[in-house]
Amino acid sequence: MGTVGDEGVLDEAGLMALVGGVGAATRAPVPVDAEAIRLWCAAMGATDPAVLDGAVAPPAMLDVWSMVGMERGVGATATTDDPHHRAYGLLSDAGFSGVVATNSDHAYGRLLRPGDHLTRTTTLAAISERKTTALGEGHFVTTESDFVDEAGASVGTMRFTVFKFRPGTGRTAEPDGAAERPERPRPRCNADQAWHWEGMRHHELRIQRFPSGRLVHPPRLADPDTGEPAPMGPDGVEYDWVVASGDATLHSWTVTRHPPHPAFPDPNVVGLVDLAEGVRLISNVVGVAPERLEVGMPLRLDWHDTHEDVTLHRFRPAVTPRRDQPRPADTVVAGDRLPVEPVDVTVELVTGGAVATRDPQDVHHDPEAARARGLPDVFMNILTTTGLVTRWIGDWAGPGAVLDSVRVGLGVPTHPGDVLVLDGSVLEGTADEVDAATGRLELAFTAAVLRGDRTIGSHARGTATVVLPTGDRPTGDGEPA
Amino acid sequence: MTSSFARRTAIVGIGATEFSKDSGRTPMRLAIEACRAACADAGVDPSEVDGMSIFSMERNQEIEVARNLGIDEMRFFSMVPHGGGGGCGTVAMAAMAVHTGAAEMVLCYRAFNERSWRRFGSGVSGHHTGEEADDVSYSWSTPFGLVTPAQWAAIFATRYMHAYGATSADFGRIAVADRRHAANNPAAFFHGRPITLADHQESRMIADPIRLLDCCQESDGGQALLVTTVDRARDLAQRPAVVAAATQGVAADQWMMRSYYRDDITGLPEMGVVARRLWADSGLGPSDVRTAMLYDHFTPLVLPQFEEFGFCAPGEAKDFIADGAIEMGGRLPINTNGGQLGEAYIHGMNGIAEAVRQIRGTSVNQVEGADDVLVTSGSGVPTSGLILSVES
Repeated sequence: MGTVGDEGVLDEAGLMALVGGVGAATRAPVPVDAEAIRLWCAAMGATDPAVLDGAVAPPAMLDVWSMVGMERGVGATATTDDPHHRAYGLLSDAGFSGVVATNSDHAYGRLLRPGDHLTRTTTLAAISERKTTALGEGHFVTTESDFVDEAGASVGTMRFTVFKFRPGTGRTAEPDGAAERPERPRPRCNADQAWHWEGMRHHELRIQRFPSGRLVHPPRLADPDTGEPAPMGPDGVEYDWVVASGDATLHSWTVTRHPPHPAFPDPNVVGLVDLAEGVRLISNVVGVAPERLEVGMPLRLDWHDTHEDVTLHRFRPAVTPRRDQPRPADTVVAGDRLPVEPVDVTVELVTGGAVATRDPQDVHHDPEAARARGLPDVFMNILTTTGLVTRWIGDWAGPGAVLDSVRVGLGVPTHPGDVLVLDGSVLEGTADEVDAATGRLELAFTAAVLRGDRTIGSHARGTATVVLPTGDRPTGDGEPA
Repeated sequence: MTSSFARRTAIVGIGATEFSKDSGRTPMRLAIEACRAACADAGVDPSEVDGMSIFSMERNQEIEVARNLGIDEMRFFSMVPHGGGGGCGTVAMAAMAVHTGAAEMVLCYRAFNERSWRRFGSGVSGHHTGEEADDVSYSWSTPFGLVTPAQWAAIFATRYMHAYGATSADFGRIAVADRRHAANNPAAFFHGRPITLADHQESRMIADPIRLLDCCQESDGGQALLVTTVDRARDLAQRPAVVAAATQGVAADQWMMRSYYRDDITGLPEMGVVARRLWADSGLGPSDVRTAMLYDHFTPLVLPQFEEFGFCAPGEAKDFIADGAIEMGGRLPINTNGGQLGEAYIHGMNGIAEAVRQIRGTSVNQVEGADDVLVTSGSGVPTSGLILSVES
């Protein structure tokens, strides 16, 4: 029995009959290419010298090579007679024209290098019954693809799921309830501190400096060393300051839970922060789950416009630089945490990520197109999410580590203005199996969405398998993770 | 330097209302009842009172209380600043006044409905909206959501744990001791309701690492104390609790609950200022004291008090309080009324009354040989303390 859609009738029986069908072997439109690798590295923030020069492709680019690519034009899609393309067409014709990727599971074979040219064969693995999600009602469509090189040898597989949904049937309310929230209590100041708050409007964290050179915060009337008040000038007291570098560490903290205050996130992390300049201040710490807070953790200055005319400083975990030495497998134990990394989601990242992953879908670069699909703005594609996560895992694993597989499941879409907070750990039970022979271990990760000062949900979670260098296995030179 | 009024004055009367979560009457009524009870306890007619000593945050003005007690003339009225840090400070003011002859009979009191009216623990958000330095000082924390006393205290607690390896369970031992003592005290809100360390560990987080059972109660009630000279005390109804020493303390870079900018925030240096003067004035030391009423709005700030008073070295309070040392039968039972976690939060004034009962030998948890009792006021704020002794 069919269902009446906006633009037609969904032939559910015909749709389901496609499941199990195998598409034609399709040669990728482009070969593996050094310039494309360098573009991908720039988009994902990769600094791994093994891939930066384009000599080796990051494994997560597996499906990039077979993507339609921008050269076919914006919004271009492959339209073959393959069962999965026919399924997409049937759904779109019945009004389920919206599409978002929800899952991408990669398993990698050998590393790919410029000159490799892949051929992809895709099987329509499953179509779900009608589901209702935050985006609306629709069907999940899962494909399984096998990638082979020109010798016919498999170089990787992918299981990929998209949600084909009917635009306009989902929830449109902001997930974080921002509209109903009262403003934070306003900071109060007088002439003795106004210069400090004024600096924040310009994203300058100003630290008071006395003529002796002594730095003080919070501001004082007089130099604590000499007792000398700040000097008087022709226009009144002359305040002097330096601008903080933004490097800091966490001296102490609390997580406020009860009573909740409607102007603040619940819970709210308040930190006592030591600035590199030697002064201390109370601020908020964002982009780190409360259970990951540690006295002494490196922080980096960030800003938050809380009122029309007030900007407050806040801090986020400092990004840990890429590990430049191999991480021996026998130094890793279950429960080890990967460093939290906040990633600013910008238009540049969303759109640049789509271009770098050869994804011409308009929802990744055209805000109007995204809104027409029921989303507030352009959103990150799953290949960029996968790219960021695998780049971050590789930076933790260091030289010589090899990414074996990655499984990404998407939750809430992430848009420009968000901060994506990457966090993860070595899975319990698997590190015992990090035997010296294989160095193989499984990681679990999450990518939470920080929007404003609230963590609104999980953009992605998943697992990855990495093979670390072992004592018996010489670390690869130039083998990327 | 020592204080000339040491051992020259005494607390001669104590009086309180019942402690509750809903008094059913106004704070002024509670103040009058407590003051009348303290006078009756001493055998003094309220009209003999010629001075009053209160601390800021007390909203029952002394002129209102005087009018309602039938006091026609007063020649000493003083207000100690900084809220709960001023508790023992009111006694210090009163003692100085009666010792110098500025007044003869001084009432110290605190009364409020901090549970059934505006809840004290809800913090300062919405306060301090002016541009005076005091208003401005809150802008370094309030806009970031650090607005309640528990949250202010939690910042110190996290650092203390990090520095010394103290744990939430160590904080819990304070709560367990308080509640054990309260369980035996019919006047305590938590009479008959002791807790275990497991109860503490299961209580919900309020502001990490402070749990619900680390927090004092928001209470309704009133507590009054009557102070006069030791000479005058000899004619009155009760055994005098001699003020062996009473003092106030502020230390470098002092803030209200937010002294976060000192190099080291694991101690309570203002309490050290108090401790040094109390020991000097009283001629006593840590080994002379058998019981102490230590200000316990939040348990983490009790631990450094042991350290500042020299009962143990910095960072060693967690070891000092282990094994029931601060419970009845231990080497230093604290807060034998149940403290502010167990009896009631009357801004520390009820702890002074309990010290008087220890000196009189009338506590429900009487400590043997309690000839000298230490009392402290608010921790983390400009504070005060006193030592009461039996008359020698």
